[in-house]
Amino acid sequence: MTLLHLEGLGKQFGEVWALKDLHFAVEEGEIVGLVGPNGAGKTTLFNLISGRITPTTGRILFAGQDLTGQKPHEICHLGIGRTFQSSRPFPGLSAVKNVLVGRVFGKGFRLRPRPDDLETSRELLEVVGLLHKADTPAGSLTPSEQRRLDLARALATRPRLLLLDEVAAGFSPVAVKQAVGLVRRVQERGVTLFIIDHFLNLSLRVSDRLLALDQGEKVAEGPPPEVMRNREVIRAYLGLRHEDEDQ
Amino acid sequence: MERAAPRKIALPGPARAIPTLLLLGLVLLPALAHSSGYVLQVFTHALLLATLALAWNILGTSGSISLGHAAFFGVGAYSSGLLSLKPGLSPWLTIPVGGLFAAGLAVIVGLLCRRLRGAYFALATLAFVEIPRVVTDNWEGLTRGSLGLVGLPGLPTLTLGGWRVEIGSSAGASYYLVLSYALVVLSLVALLWESNLGLALQAAREEETAAKAVGVHVDRYRFLSLLLSASLTGTSGAIYVHLTRYTVPGLVYSLHFSAVPMIFALCGGRFTILGPALAALVLYPVDQFLFHPLLPAGHEVLYGLFLILVVLFMPGGFWGALRRSR
Repeated sequence: MTLLHLEGLGKQFGEVWALKDLHFAVEEGEIVGLVGPNGAGKTTLFNLISGRITPTTGRILFAGQDLTGQKPHEICHLGIGRTFQSSRPFPGLSAVKNVLVGRVFGKGFRLRPRPDDLETSRELLEVVGLLHKADTPAGSLTPSEQRRLDLARALATRPRLLLLDEVAAGFSPVAVKQAVGLVRRVQERGVTLFIIDHFLNLSLRVSDRLLALDQGEKVAEGPPPEVMRNREVIRAYLGLRHEDEDQ
Repeated sequence: MERAAPRKIALPGPARAIPTLLLLGLVLLPALAHSSGYVLQVFTHALLLATLALAWNILGTSGSISLGHAAFFGVGAYSSGLLSLKPGLSPWLTIPVGGLFAAGLAVIVGLLCRRLRGAYFALATLAFVEIPRVVTDNWEGLTRGSLGLVGLPGLPTLTLGGWRVEIGSSAGASYYLVLSYALVVLSLVALLWESNLGLALQAAREEETAAKAVGVHVDRYRFLSLLLSASLTGTSGAIYVHLTRYTVPGLVYSLHFSAVPMIFALCGGRFTILGPALAALVLYPVDQFLFHPLLPAGHEVLYGLFLILVVLFMPGGFWGALRRSR
């Protein structure tokens, strides 16, 4: 079943099209990697899906529902979670309270705390390997811990689709290996994943499919090995574009 | 690797005893100070300022700094005072109604300023004090303008069986009334902090974009916190006007009632429940008993001094710093 459907999606900033006429579909249960060089429009696409910005053209359908005009918190309630390129913890709150916010508000509002909310939040910290830091203020965690906290907080909202923005950027090979395991565990929970991965260190190993963007336009989509052999993708990544035009 | 700090930091013995001792002292104060009405008056006003600081900090918890809470205080005072004076309604009724009027003003402020954050919100609230002040000052047919409200009825005598409490005329009874009200406000703030609404406000303050992305309807909760903060501030204004039984626009729509609650909240600790109230109960009496005799004209310099010291050396406020120390 198609979970996310992008129909002619475009976003113009001033004179520049950050994203142009994008058609794409994400199936329920799959892991899709979103790759492309700087300025390809990857984060713009995530900001559009999560409602931070509104599209100039086209529309986004999520489980058959049009997301156009929905606010970020409403989109979260519908079942789309996200992490941020540079993580955005609640620095003054403890790690477990960070996750608790997602747990309590992810599907609307409950005035009365439920006793299992805190327990569930601690379980999610365990999933990302941060249980031992549960009571540490999020602001004192290391950058890589903050990324994992971002992920736990997003998972706490019980998303059907999770948008991960550069979750493994700057990770050591060991940490990337752990991240691969983590992404698989998230998928096993029944979550569909859309992963931005500029440096390709995560998506090549876990993705079922890749979507490659360059300068706001789709250049390729398909199984990872096929996309990585694609001439356009190689050009975009290696910066051969201009030499090519000179010939 | 640094070790994770335990979340519930055990307070040092003396610090843990402070709230209990303070409450005990406050309850016994009229007995201790029976010879001096002045001491009681100062502490009655300190308690009233404590309610203002607590109410201010409800909005402060969401990250918004208001420089204009005197607007809510003044609207509460004037609407309640006028309803007691002209139709002659009972102050027990008009005091909560004063809180509602202040909430009404908060609806307007909230709608107009909903896109403003940080310094821009603070400046807008500063400007908002002027609107009700100018209206009150110039609508002479209703408010008597700069002549003010004179001869307001005091709080009526309560009769419980054979027991009569003359709240209006007894300094001790007025004191207990304000003390009870302060305890109600404190309980409300404590409930709010422990509720999910308090969690939403803190998340919005810490990282608004992230709060929205995990489903927090930031605008709604911030609006609610403004309403609650304003209605409590207006109720305090209504109580104040019935205790003093006199007011003019310049008195209630003053910088004093905008700045002092904020200073107490910042000095006591914005991220604590008790801090703002404690700061009011310590700083205001110190100002009145020590600085006022020394510097009759410029005694409020004390507040400025404390604010500078706290901002420079204790960003979490006194109570915040005390709780962290071990």
